[in-house]
Amino acid sequence: MSPWAGDISYNRSMSQPRVLLITTLLAIVLLPWTVVAVPMISPVEVALVGPESTQQLVVTQETENGLSDLTHEAKYRSKNEAVAIVNEQGIVRPVGEGITEVRVSSSVGTKNIPVRVQGLQNPKPISFRRDIQPILTKAACNSGGCHGKADGQNGFKLSLFGFDDEFDFAAVVKAARGRRVNISAPDRSLFLRKATGDLPHGGGRKIETSGLWYARILRWLREGAKLDEPNELDTVRLEIYPAAASMRHDSGQQLQVFAVDSDGTRRCVTREAEFISNATDVAEVDSSGLVQVSTVPGEAAILARYRGVVSVARVRLPQGGNVARPVLTHPIDVLVWDRFSLLGIRPSELVDDADFLRRVYLDSIGTLPTVEEARAFLSNRALDKREKLIDDLLRRSEYADFWAMKWADILRVDRERIQSNGTIAMTRWLRYQFANNRPYDEFVTAVITAVGSTVSESPAAFYVVHNDAEKMARSISQAFLGVRIECAQCHHHPFEKWGQHDYFAFAGFFTGVKQKKMGAQAQKILDGPGQDLAHPRTQQIVPAAGLGAGPAMIGEDVSRRTVLAAWMTKTTNPFLARMLVNRLWAHYFGRGLADPIDDMRSTNPASNEPLLNMLADRFIENGFDVKKITKFILTSRVYQLSSDVNQSNELDEQNFSHARWKAMSAEVLLDAISQATGISESFNGWPEGYRAIQVWDNRMPNYFFRIFGKPRRVSVCECERGTEPSIAQALHLMNAPETMSKLRSRFGAVRRLVESNLSESEIVDELYLSTLSRFPTTDERELMVGVFDDPVSSRQTAVEDILWTLINTREFVFNH
Amino acid sequence: MFKVSFSKQGGFCDKISRRNVLTLGATGLLGGLSLPSMLQMQAVAASAKPARVKSCIFLMLEGGPSHIDMWDLKPNAPSEIRGPFSPISTNVPGTQISEILPMCSKIVDQFTILRSHSHGDNAHQTGRHWVMTGYKPNFPDGQAKGVPFNEHYPSIGSIVSRELGHRGAVPPYIEVPEPLGPGGPGFYGPRYAPFTIETDPVEPTFAVRDLNVVEGIDENRFERRKTLLERANALGAGGGGVGRAKTMDTYYEKALEMVTSPAARRAFNIQGEKSAVRERYGMTSIGQCSLLSRRLVEAGSRFIGVSHGSWDTHFDNFTGHRKALVPPTDQAFSALIEDLDQRGMLDETLVVMMGEMGRTPRINKDAGRDHWSMCQSVILAGGGIKRGAVIGASDDTASYPTTTPYGVQDLLYTILDLMGINPAKIYPDSLGRPVPLVTGGKRIDEIIA
Repeated sequence: MSPWAGDISYNRSMSQPRVLLITTLLAIVLLPWTVVAVPMISPVEVALVGPESTQQLVVTQETENGLSDLTHEAKYRSKNEAVAIVNEQGIVRPVGEGITEVRVSSSVGTKNIPVRVQGLQNPKPISFRRDIQPILTKAACNSGGCHGKADGQNGFKLSLFGFDDEFDFAAVVKAARGRRVNISAPDRSLFLRKATGDLPHGGGRKIETSGLWYARILRWLREGAKLDEPNELDTVRLEIYPAAASMRHDSGQQLQVFAVDSDGTRRCVTREAEFISNATDVAEVDSSGLVQVSTVPGEAAILARYRGVVSVARVRLPQGGNVARPVLTHPIDVLVWDRFSLLGIRPSELVDDADFLRRVYLDSIGTLPTVEEARAFLSNRALDKREKLIDDLLRRSEYADFWAMKWADILRVDRERIQSNGTIAMTRWLRYQFANNRPYDEFVTAVITAVGSTVSESPAAFYVVHNDAEKMARSISQAFLGVRIECAQCHHHPFEKWGQHDYFAFAGFFTGVKQKKMGAQAQKILDGPGQDLAHPRTQQIVPAAGLGAGPAMIGEDVSRRTVLAAWMTKTTNPFLARMLVNRLWAHYFGRGLADPIDDMRSTNPASNEPLLNMLADRFIENGFDVKKITKFILTSRVYQLSSDVNQSNELDEQNFSHARWKAMSAEVLLDAISQATGISESFNGWPEGYRAIQVWDNRMPNYFFRIFGKPRRVSVCECERGTEPSIAQALHLMNAPETMSKLRSRFGAVRRLVESNLSESEIVDELYLSTLSRFPTTDERELMVGVFDDPVSSRQTAVEDILWTLINTREFVFNH
Repeated sequence: MFKVSFSKQGGFCDKISRRNVLTLGATGLLGGLSLPSMLQMQAVAASAKPARVKSCIFLMLEGGPSHIDMWDLKPNAPSEIRGPFSPISTNVPGTQISEILPMCSKIVDQFTILRSHSHGDNAHQTGRHWVMTGYKPNFPDGQAKGVPFNEHYPSIGSIVSRELGHRGAVPPYIEVPEPLGPGGPGFYGPRYAPFTIETDPVEPTFAVRDLNVVEGIDENRFERRKTLLERANALGAGGGGVGRAKTMDTYYEKALEMVTSPAARRAFNIQGEKSAVRERYGMTSIGQCSLLSRRLVEAGSRFIGVSHGSWDTHFDNFTGHRKALVPPTDQAFSALIEDLDQRGMLDETLVVMMGEMGRTPRINKDAGRDHWSMCQSVILAGGGIKRGAVIGASDDTASYPTTTPYGVQDLLYTILDLMGINPAKIYPDSLGRPVPLVTGGKRIDEIIA
């Protein structure tokens, strides 16, 4: 049986063999002397209603380090198997109405759990919506790879994730002339025989004939395969037990999920719920709800989903050991060290001046420090020199170039769609915003409400790149709010509360946008009145509304986008500030507090929620001042940690206990090579002297850009920028004729050093400073000076070879 | 982009561990990836199937070759349809192809002609996207100008590269003599991009970009640099190498191997091939690209995409096919199959030759044929494909298949399956949506030996 084949099978003969029973009894006799604790069992009593109901038991023991799960080592025995039976996994199933007990024996003691079984003789009719659909979801029948995809599978199409009960009911019962169900011989129904693999089924066996899912579907067919009325018994919330667990490494924890229906019914749906971990390096979860943690310290949110309702359990994996806490004055550090203490992670040391210098230059202005800048900083003895440097960098013109480029990627400033003039205009506008540190709320308002010509300096071209209301809504939501509302276009968002209603409500803000052609290269963006959109399934008009907000009040004399901008930039907006600070954090640390950055949701919490909240609050309090919050981040100790790891933090990915090795973007790397060799890049058809971070043309044919992954700007996701290495990159760095000619140029750094009267040792210093922003170590100096001694090298070839080598070191190619 | 880290459990490129596969869902891109699909990925990752076919050579005849003038002649059709070419007998009794393919006619016993390929996208860009990725593009035809232009969905070459990885000193996925329009990695990212050889091996000055060390750097000096780099890296930061830096180290090793290993250098050095062999393939673009492909397969490449064009014969279809297009192709394809066979490589190498579509049965006023995607012939040879078979048939005018039509997804499914890759394997895209390698499709059992 494949691991996801769904239903569980029960077998009466599976109950404990005699030998085991004796062992258990012996253990019970012996244990009271060694252990005082008794197992904690959830729930304290079991109520099973209906023939196909189940109850997952969870058995835990409280220890000093939190809960310890005993569910899968405990032994279970039903006192009356005519009423209920229980299997090895601790799942109780009804047999006959009545009352009995399940005896749970574990290494820490024994407990009896009362069990009441009802609703077997006159069971409630099966509800297609409540009882059948979750099976189709859990068995993955309606997943995107199977019958849920747009054109179904082999003529049988279900709605993706089962978001459309009516459609799915019709697909099962009515479509294909009703051949999938056989009311007169329900067990001969194609629907069942395919699912059980009785008839050839591309998806294999999904449901076991001995299981309860089979029994439930069969009963539904026997009852006439009906569709019940909507909303009768909606599930309103899920309760997970345990909701939070601190675990030991390499251990497991069984979860238990209850669905609470609108009528107050509370029932175990562990078997029907789906589980997903947001941090699989820390914890994985299987389809039965068993969480398994690894050895990587951190936290994972385990999402449970059932009938479109989601909830999470937090699993924490600390590692032992006390963490020394330095004197922390920076508010960021206080919250970061809270995590280190909690998880037992010893962070890396403070980074040295040279590495800090190189890192903060590359991160904040996308530019390498020059030899002179490096010398000045390294010889500076002032205690506040790092802070001063940060101030200086944020004032540099490269700051504006670099951040304009980054935002041009995010906002998709694409020459393919808005021509050269539009691209230049919008890039200039962006550059101006960052040069002048325009408050972010104003910046966002300007983008959201842009009107006018696409060739004047403005963000109006955004509305040419995104040429319909839905596209605008999707990009704005993802880029500024961190919500992938796109998922809710066709179906309920699988991991969030968002549904199609929310999607079309949000898109309704953009229905007024009009485009007017002005000559060959320009368009004008205007605002018409617009209208609310209709829900595609129900055809009901959905009033425009912010995400999670009530219907917007749209007056006669204001544009819809103005109303949206006001909602987005209100200081109480729950998304905007969090998204921006998380984006900045991800930029400077190589990973967001919430990750990925444009998928922020309650079910994908930040690895340090207090920190994300504090940063967002502070950003708002400071009037959405981007440079101020940037400086706040860069002056923290956590930003200034070394990338050298220790035994305690080498596996840590989510708590920022060491700096990451970040790929340099294509433009930054190209500029770095140009600067180190002293020869600027010549871009085909462009005047000399442009730096790659200033190139506005995202479609410029350039081999370097292509292989190093400069984004084409087809998506607002920063993930579009390739950060993965490739062979072509390595080959190009080693052998590109362009680099060779830079090394050999009569006007370049190599020639200048060769012709200078610097000693060999001084030349090596210069080369290290110009590439790695640091002086060589004694060993390195010795190695490189040795190149000059090579009988076949001239001074020229020696300097060429040393610079070639440094440009190809991993320390050069990465920002660390 | 994806972060499949090469951690303890993972091998190089081709072996993705279970935890790594799951990491795909979490680090980048959780949204939309349902648990069952994760489990599916997990299961798939655990069951890499050994396959006989190790490499694929994909000859893309861009523009759309005329099936009715080459492989599927209709001598009894009216003159406004049948065209001037006569069918000739081949070395397989009962199988006839066009007189303009004399060399192929002598080796029909080595390959399969699939006459019932049909997909219905009548435009070049969108059709090529459909053929090379198995997904319909989200842009209208003519609107994509970038190279590559498959911005979202990975090409078959990138899929093969990702699943099978390296087998020697050369990159797993190579394109020659220019990038295929939709040959890119899409959301897989640059790691799975083709290594593009953007010069034509037929040129006397043919050299692979960045492969040969530049003038003035002889082997000894490159060797010295290599040693110096190793020492500098050992002394510098990140000695052990972590995360991406470690991956880059691995790629440096691969790149250095390409530059320095005799095997890789030999493979690319087409000038070193015997002139009789070069001439057997023909001193033409497709001839030398085919020869280079064979050499790259020998050196361990997994997927070589060759583009050849333009077959878009709206004017003077017959002159174009008879003179410029078919003869070099006839020569190159027949030479490639013979050569692979003689070297005992044909069983391990799958050769596919096709365009993004066929051409209209009805001849237009300019003696041309226009776009026709409802019916085309695909030529397949080697690795697990029947020898000497004609599969499928079209109607009296070569307009529509009269037997089971096979579509793009069926073809891609079959190629992957033959290469031991599970076509149902799923990766989440940047939004977290599960994207199977091939959506739908069935293995075309009829063409399999």
